[in-house]
Amino acid sequence: MNRLTNPLGTSVGKKLMMAVTGLGFCCFLTIHLAGNLTIYGGKDFFNSYVEHLHSLGPLVTLAELGLLVFAAIHIMTGALLFYQSLKARPIRYSVNKRAGGRTLGSATMPYTGFILLLFVIFHLINFHFVDKTNITTFQLLSNAFANPVYIFIYTVAVIIAAIHVSHGLWSAFQTLGANHPKYTPFLRGLSIVFSVVVGIGFGFIPVYVFLLL
Amino acid sequence: MTKSINITLKVWRQKGPHVKSGFETYPATDISTDMSFLEMIDVVNEQLTLDGKDPIAFDHDCREGICGMCGAVINGRSHGPEKGTTLCQFHMRHFSNGDTIVIEPWRAKAFPIIKDLVVDRSAFDQIILAGGYISVNTGGAPDANSIPIAQEIAELAMDAAACIGCGACVAACPNASAMLFTSAKISQLALLPQGRLEAANRALAMVRKMDELCFGNCSNERECEAECPKEISISNIARLNREFIKAGLVSSVK
Amino acid sequence: MQLDAKIPSGPLAEKWDKHRFELKLVNPANKRKYTIIVVGTGLAGGSAAASLGELGYYVKNFCIQDSPRRAHSIAAQGGINAAKNYQNDGDSIWRLFYDTIKGGDFRAREANVYRLAQVSNNIIDHCVAQGIPFAREYGGLLANRSFGGAQVSRTFYARGQTGQQLLLGAYSSLMRQVAAGQVSMFPRREMLDIVVINGQARGIVVRNLITGEIENHAADAVVLCTGGYANVFYLSTNAMASNVSATFRAYKKGAFFANPCYTQIHPTCIPVHGTYQSKLTLMSESLRNDGRVWVPKTPGDRRPPNQIPESERDYYLEEKYPSFGNLVPRDVASRNAKTQCDMGKGVEETGFAVYLDFADAIKRDGKDVIQQKYGNLFQMYEKITASNPYETPMMIYPASHYVMGGLWVDYNLMSNLDGLFVMGEANFSDHGANRLGASALMQGLADGYFVIPYTIGGYLAGTDRPEITTDHPAFKEATRYVTERTRKLLSINGKRTVDDIHRQLGHILWEYCGMSRNDDGLLKARKLIQELREEFWKNAMVPGSSEDFNQSLERAGRVADFLEFAELLVIDAFERKESCGGHFNEAYQTEEHEARRDDENFCHVSAWEFKGDDNDPELHKEPLVFENVELTQRSYK
Ligand SMILES: Cc1cc2nc3c(=O)[nH]c(=O)nc-3n(C[C@H](O)[C@H](O)[C@H](O)COP(=O)(O)OP(=O)(O)OC[C@H]3O[C@@H](n4cnc5c(N)ncnc54)[C@H](O)[C@@H]3O)c2cc1C
Ligand code: HEM
Ligand code: SF4
Ligand code: FES
Repeated sequence: MNRLTNPLGTSVGKKLMMAVTGLGFCCFLTIHLAGNLTIYGGKDFFNSYVEHLHSLGPLVTLAELGLLVFAAIHIMTGALLFYQSLKARPIRYSVNKRAGGRTLGSATMPYTGFILLLFVIFHLINFHFVDKTNITTFQLLSNAFANPVYIFIYTVAVIIAAIHVSHGLWSAFQTLGANHPKYTPFLRGLSIVFSVVVGIGFGFIPVYVFLLL
Repeated sequence: MTKSINITLKVWRQKGPHVKSGFETYPATDISTDMSFLEMIDVVNEQLTLDGKDPIAFDHDCREGICGMCGAVINGRSHGPEKGTTLCQFHMRHFSNGDTIVIEPWRAKAFPIIKDLVVDRSAFDQIILAGGYISVNTGGAPDANSIPIAQEIAELAMDAAACIGCGACVAACPNASAMLFTSAKISQLALLPQGRLEAANRALAMVRKMDELCFGNCSNERECEAECPKEISISNIARLNREFIKAGLVSSVK
Repeated sequence: MQLDAKIPSGPLAEKWDKHRFELKLVNPANKRKYTIIVVGTGLAGGSAAASLGELGYYVKNFCIQDSPRRAHSIAAQGGINAAKNYQNDGDSIWRLFYDTIKGGDFRAREANVYRLAQVSNNIIDHCVAQGIPFAREYGGLLANRSFGGAQVSRTFYARGQTGQQLLLGAYSSLMRQVAAGQVSMFPRREMLDIVVINGQARGIVVRNLITGEIENHAADAVVLCTGGYANVFYLSTNAMASNVSATFRAYKKGAFFANPCYTQIHPTCIPVHGTYQSKLTLMSESLRNDGRVWVPKTPGDRRPPNQIPESERDYYLEEKYPSFGNLVPRDVASRNAKTQCDMGKGVEETGFAVYLDFADAIKRDGKDVIQQKYGNLFQMYEKITASNPYETPMMIYPASHYVMGGLWVDYNLMSNLDGLFVMGEANFSDHGANRLGASALMQGLADGYFVIPYTIGGYLAGTDRPEITTDHPAFKEATRYVTERTRKLLSINGKRTVDDIHRQLGHILWEYCGMSRNDDGLLKARKLIQELREEFWKNAMVPGSSEDFNQSLERAGRVADFLEFAELLVIDAFERKESCGGHFNEAYQTEEHEARRDDENFCHVSAWEFKGDDNDPELHKEPLVFENVELTQRSYK
């Protein structure tokens, strides 16, 4: 086990775990988004998708457990990395200026990440840990998004998520060693496209549901 | 065209490693725009000396951008705002009359301040010491042409080898990470057939040493690449990551 | 005292082999009992410390900079010579030997230079094995370029950063020995004295540049690799910390200083702008392959270059030297530039520059070709001067660049003091009166990797040395001397900064003991130097204390030594009544204004012995014997 934990305990090892779990989240986001897009097919279409999903039973539980483990790793490692990096510069500069490397996404990773964590908890309380015996998921959604405050929270959270992955996706590839003069520009573009798709795809759901009301 | 400007310097003054410190303001008058930044400090120091004050301590040696000795953060930019330039090669013509220039030392836990703008970069030597070499003794090498190396590979290795060890990457990194410096050496040696034999050991040992020295963690901000006076590319960091994955997860090296 | 160069007998090509066989060996198990001090981490010092560590000696290695990787050698651009003959163009060990001897104007030892040519090939092999990314051909083999007038292509290079790459190679080997515990590094230390016990060099006294503490280090032998003294001219292409202090301290302790007047002025440097200027930047000599040197015909013509018509331009090198043109050797090109500027034909605001014009080359070959050849140099020039050499001609002027003189050493690279070895630019050995391009790097690495490992063993195995520690009175005495000198420097409390005085010293030497010299000027210079030295000790201003990081104090100590050494340089120049290589005495020139040697009376090494602060030094002559080459007069018409 030492053979594995030793390398993973280093800074590069921790980054690798961030990258793998982060990419895992990106996959989850993609699937989650694909599923949620069924909402544009109407209420019944959406509800049948949810039923389908739930009928997978243990598979879903397994995926949920996986995500939980990934989340634990991603969050704890991210927090540790952030803390260590803060400590690496005990006295900060009085003038800070960018040289052109940093982006909005890269500069805010720990903060957007932290907000995402709060949001995920909020989101799960809203839609996951609720008694769904007498109510369809769609109704749950419409109830929530009837409230403009909810719409606001969700829209902001989605934008934050988009910012997080706008750096995260490309960064994960770089961390995994995938940097090549031919493909890197493409990957950087892909990160942006992905974040825009996530932003718009998820972002319009609450609005759409609100408008359907 | 040469002209003279008057500027104000706000310089970090610190007598020793753990003593009280802060910014001091000095006028720099009649500065020729043809001067290098360090020559401007020379002029200010001459005046300070004549006024009976302690001149500003700063490291420098070659003054041609190759020894890696000089460096300070100028208005928030490592080695000043000009791309691909060390502080000694950065000229006063980039400033205008009346400007205020804030000068700070490299700031990182791994680079403690010795005095004023002088920092201790011996951590970089420690990283090289951990494995930044090929283990050959003098005398036993085969004929130089017995190891052909493709030109592109030699050029890539040279790109990485151009690092001057100045520390600007650490200074510019929001996390004070030493990944660009470390990756430049790991890359150079990993690219060359001579260096492959020890590649796994080297990658693991150098990364561990880097961590031990309290550098921060790379988060791919790319500020290092943007500030590096030798324009070392972060593709070297990706190569380090690959070497590390191979070494840590695949090779039999501990 | 008779100087014995200890040149082995026998045919030239067999001397080194024979000598290595005859040298005593140190039992491998005993090596770790010996401590060797190496001062300097440049190509000479870095390579020596690494290879001595590999052999099993315990090495203490010192340098001024914060890391051994930053020694002045890092700045060398052009390349390193070796007689590999990879280009199949007729090179050989003999040819490299001959070129170097002739380039040095027949003022170097045959045996040393031949050995240098012999080991040059091993250097390249070792450097490649270390992972130095030399330039390569498409087929993967090593590339070469030609350099410094040689007619074969034998220069190996790593872009314009050959010195950097070679030094980082030596540094990596050094770090490996540090990791192995064979070498202890002492960076940010300045050697201030050498300790001699029973006629043997047994240690050094250094100042810790961070804490100001004076430290004593004892050893079985001391190896000085402290580089050259070109900074005596104040402005030079050398790094700011380059100094004469280490070698000069050794001179004062009895080591002979050889040929101090052999200094090299490089013709293509970026000219001086103003008094604030702190150093000069070298532009590679290769530029003269395509650039044409000219000045306006009329003195005082200050029109911008593009407004001066062809008919009013003086391409003085092409006119004077029709066959070599702009490619005459360094000393000839430099002297001619000075002559033109002295006539008032110089350009730039200061009048101390000549044009190096690429317009014709760009017209002939196209901008792309020129860019490919010199792109990085043009870029560097533009960075410094903010003028674009593709459009307006470059302005260049000669600058002090390298010194051939240094401490006298024998064939083993040991000075006349037992146990004191001197290598690299710090010794006088291989370049005679003039060094060819790309051969200083070769010499530094030859000395460190392939000569000292053998010869130091011979010394250690062949001599008796008493057990000593740093408690020995000689260390106490040296420490007292150093402390007292520091105290004195800090208590002058005058009105002139050290840099100001150094600048003036530079002017004196440049004026009277630079590219061309004459007896009157030299006498005058000597007097001016004495006066300036006196003023220094009365009127210099050295702020701060001795107990912390004090760069003013560091500089003051170096300048104090330069002020003494400069006089020795002038004395030596005065004494050598001939012109050879970098030493040009106007009274000794051919009708074509070329250097005229006097082989009858001056075919010797001048080695100076210190005789006390108030006495003139004493001259010792080591005759140079040429058995294998014929002495000829250089001509570049
Ligand atoms: C701009 C430039 C370009 C050049 N290009 C070429 C080229 O292309 N090819 C070529 O062959 N040559 C070239 N040369 C010449 C060559 O670089 C030098 O001659 C050579 O590098 C000298 O090496 P060294 O090891 O003797 O000394 P250095 O590299 O000068 O090292 C001196 C060492 O001694 C230490 N030291 C000095 N004084 C003290 C002291 N008092 N106490 C403690 N430590 C001390 C220093 O810290 C340093 O580590 C060039 C020189 C210059 C200036
Ligand atoms: C849907 C949710 C999330 C996705 C898709 C996601 C995705 C990613 C990705 C791809 C990375 C890049 C990894 C790398 O640079 O190699 C990353 C980094 C990061 N994430 Fe997340 N993440 C999510 C949630 C979170 C949460 C909840 C937190 C926090 C508490 C968080 C904190 C971080 C931090 C701090 C980093 C930067 C680590 C570093 O570069 O050093 N993320 N994330
Ligand atoms: S990578 Fe660039 S910035 Fe970092 S030490 Fe090397 S040269 Fe300096
Ligand atoms: S002083 Fe050498 S790089 Fe600036």
